[in-house]
Amino acid sequence: MPDILMTIRDLHVAYGKKPILRGAGFDLYKGECLTLLGANGSGKSTSLNAICGFVQPASGSVSLGDQELAGLAPHRIFQHGVAQVSQKRDLFPDLTVTDNLRLGAMRRGAKQAARTLDQVYARFPRLAERRRQATRTLSGGEQQMVAIGRALMSQPTLLLLDEPSGGLSPEFCEEIALLMDGLKADGVTMLMVEQNLKLAFRAADRFIVLRDGLVVDGGDVKAMEGDHDAIIKNIYL
Amino acid sequence: MLLQLTISGLSQGAIYALVALSLTVVYRSTTIVNFGHGDFVMAGAFVSYVLTVMLGVAFLPAAVLAVIAMFLLGLCFSRGLIRPIRGGPHIGYALMCIAVGYVLRGIARIVWGREVLPMPSVFDMPPVFIGNLVITGDAMFIIGTTTVLLAIFFAILALTDIGKMVQAVYQSQRGAQLIGINVDRFNDMAWGVGAAMGAMGGILIAPVSLLHPDLGASFLIKGFAAMTLGGFGSLHGAVIGALLLGVSEQYAGAYINSALIDITAYLIIVFVLLVRPHGLFGHKTVVKV
Repeated sequence: MPDILMTIRDLHVAYGKKPILRGAGFDLYKGECLTLLGANGSGKSTSLNAICGFVQPASGSVSLGDQELAGLAPHRIFQHGVAQVSQKRDLFPDLTVTDNLRLGAMRRGAKQAARTLDQVYARFPRLAERRRQATRTLSGGEQQMVAIGRALMSQPTLLLLDEPSGGLSPEFCEEIALLMDGLKADGVTMLMVEQNLKLAFRAADRFIVLRDGLVVDGGDVKAMEGDHDAIIKNIYL
Repeated sequence: MLLQLTISGLSQGAIYALVALSLTVVYRSTTIVNFGHGDFVMAGAFVSYVLTVMLGVAFLPAAVLAVIAMFLLGLCFSRGLIRPIRGGPHIGYALMCIAVGYVLRGIARIVWGREVLPMPSVFDMPPVFIGNLVITGDAMFIIGTTTVLLAIFFAILALTDIGKMVQAVYQSQRGAQLIGINVDRFNDMAWGVGAAMGAMGGILIAPVSLLHPDLGASFLIKGFAAMTLGGFGSLHGAVIGALLLGVSEQYAGAYINSALIDITAYLIIVFVLLVRPHGLFGHKTVVKV
């Protein structure tokens, strides 16, 4: 059994009086890709935002090793090695591709950042060709590459991906899947929310199903191969 | 005469530029319009007055100390009075700014009453004559100093890592948080820098005009007019808008009626909002339906 990287226990989050997470809990193992599945409003993105500090949990725990993250501000959580690729990407549209990427490694030394920038460009040759372009001029797929590249620039312990295929063409979804294979091979731990089940099952090692803010199912993706319909029924029915 | 008016307008516009730019620095990072900013400008001028006239400090160190003092005041204002009301109605920010502005004005009135105070001239530079054109030492000092300050500001913004970070926060606060920037602290700094830059405007104008506790009110309106003309949120727009405003005032005063100098800023606000609401360099808001 691989080591546990993150433990989430009894997480409660509410938007105003409306509870979204009602005691969700799960473990995340080092080097794996875990996908959170669930219908709209089940608490998938809220889980990521609670881990990242964008929403404050009412109670519960988010532990990264010995470090408790629940209640910390987003910039503090980032310092602990948790980077997120958000659903809206949240890039800096008027800055160049290189500037966007370099800002992701702001807290690291210039030499290390330069080395990681080369690695990111090697991973995304298309971005290298457009390094001086403002990111607002890129296609949706290229912007997603910048968002992922920016997160990788910090060399995160844990990479959170919120709908990485959102709004992208099927060809690009396959590119995302290949990219995630590469990241897994490099030992990057990933937690992903994905509506595109084909991509989710293609890229993830394990899945968890959230319903009404609680974990109701979960398991090994490979073990469920050929029985994805059962998972889909569990999500939507 | 046109050239003479232009020089006078640019000299006046340079002060407006510092005020408009400092308002924009705060507005871009926090979306708050500081309705008390004129009084921060006034406070900067009075701090330099106290240091130079009452305590006998030389102008340059006094100016530096006044700028540092106003930076700290802006920082404390954000940390102590703006942060706690975050999440409340947006008008709360406006009222807080107005209230603190009036407190600063009130303090100045308690100490100096409503008297106007002359600040001794510190720019002991002889005027330059180019044909019929006269460029006063004051004008050269104000235009020169403002040019250097603006060049430093825009160079930092465009060429340094700190500048890229500032641009990042301006463009996406959430994105900035995603790369580990402490946006709350950044906003505190923006208030500090805004107050300090406004104070620079006050310090530059103090030796060439009379000081009084209400002097900030007119600078606030000039700052708003420059922002409107340049486009809300545009940093270079604020500067260009301010210079155009300064020159327009001089032209209107000389060629139409001298009384127009006082209302040019208001006329520009009305005209621009009607004809081109996003100003010269602002972004037109597009709503997808």
